[in-house]
Amino acid sequence: MAQAPPTDTKLDEKVDYFNLPCPIPFEELHREAIISLKPELFEGMRFDFTKMLNQKFSLNHSVSMGPTEIPSQSTETIKIPTANYEFGATFIDHPKLMLLGRILTDGRLNARVKYEVSENLTLKANAQLTNEPHMSQGMVNFDYKGKDYRSQFQLGNGALLGASYIQSVTRNLSLGAEVFWAGQHRKSGVGYAARYNTDKWVATAQVASTGMVLASYVQKVSEKVSLATELLCNYLSRDVTASFGYDYILRQCRLRGKIDSNGCCAAFLEERLNMGLNFILSAELDHKKKDYKFGFGLTVGE
Amino acid sequence: MASRGVSLKAKGKSSKGSKGLEDRSLSESVKEWSTWAMKKAKVITHYGFIPFVIIIGMNSEPKPQLSQLLSPV
Repeated sequence: MAQAPPTDTKLDEKVDYFNLPCPIPFEELHREAIISLKPELFEGMRFDFTKMLNQKFSLNHSVSMGPTEIPSQSTETIKIPTANYEFGATFIDHPKLMLLGRILTDGRLNARVKYEVSENLTLKANAQLTNEPHMSQGMVNFDYKGKDYRSQFQLGNGALLGASYIQSVTRNLSLGAEVFWAGQHRKSGVGYAARYNTDKWVATAQVASTGMVLASYVQKVSEKVSLATELLCNYLSRDVTASFGYDYILRQCRLRGKIDSNGCCAAFLEERLNMGLNFILSAELDHKKKDYKFGFGLTVGE
Repeated sequence: MASRGVSLKAKGKSSKGSKGLEDRSLSESVKEWSTWAMKKAKVITHYGFIPFVIIIGMNSEPKPQLSQLLSPV
């Protein structure tokens, strides 16, 4: 009963259409569902170490060992054992500038730049570079944040062009659309999306001309627990996947799990052992493919 | 090492292609120049991005010591 008065006052308030909140970016539309349903599952062992040199600048060292899946034509999964060391440097001058670089032992570089040109305009650049020709990727985004809308313009290699726009329609509802054109593959498409969020739940829907239909619903049961469902279908390839997941944030740990209609269940546990010391357990069981992945890891410093 | 060799070969090809630049139309030379510039930009980013982040980080206040940067812990 204690919660009743604030909801009443909300109903009494008239919707002020000239004073709507700014929606979240189009690409982060399914943010809550992705956090609950898609944790960073891994197989094998990983060790991450972050060394803060000052408030803004840190170095990262990361070692991972374990089997890696290689793409193949056959239905059976083929895995090869791999070991990788990753070195990274991060500079974050919040919110003006963010620079992030990661380099792997095989020479792959992942570079990210985020720069706030003005209060409303943000420039984002993203690149994955390799020594192999035609495998590198680069992308530049220009984000414009208005009072109750956001728009984005995207430029990528391979003549990729994209634009998206999202607008708050009422206090809770926002509608968006996107267009893209990939010149190298001679493909183009449009997409539409809707998002309704309240303090207690978030529902999103997205349709794209590539055949993708995605609907998600996240219920925040309490501050510490949220439940998520997602329905993903592709009407061109006739694939349908439904998944259900949970996300518990407890005092010492965070536990995420999901199960989907392909017979795949997964759990991801982050246990806080000490200040700046986290222990990670990851498990993914694909009963249909008989593919079982278990991983453990340690994260030091943050 | 094998991947290095491949990238060197690709560079050799592009320099050969730029020889007959004069008898080509303007749009083609612009195209070639932009591919050349993109290739160079890629190499510069590939080798220079992390040193660049480290230089910016080392010059940020409060300035970290060089020994802090090099020591493993």
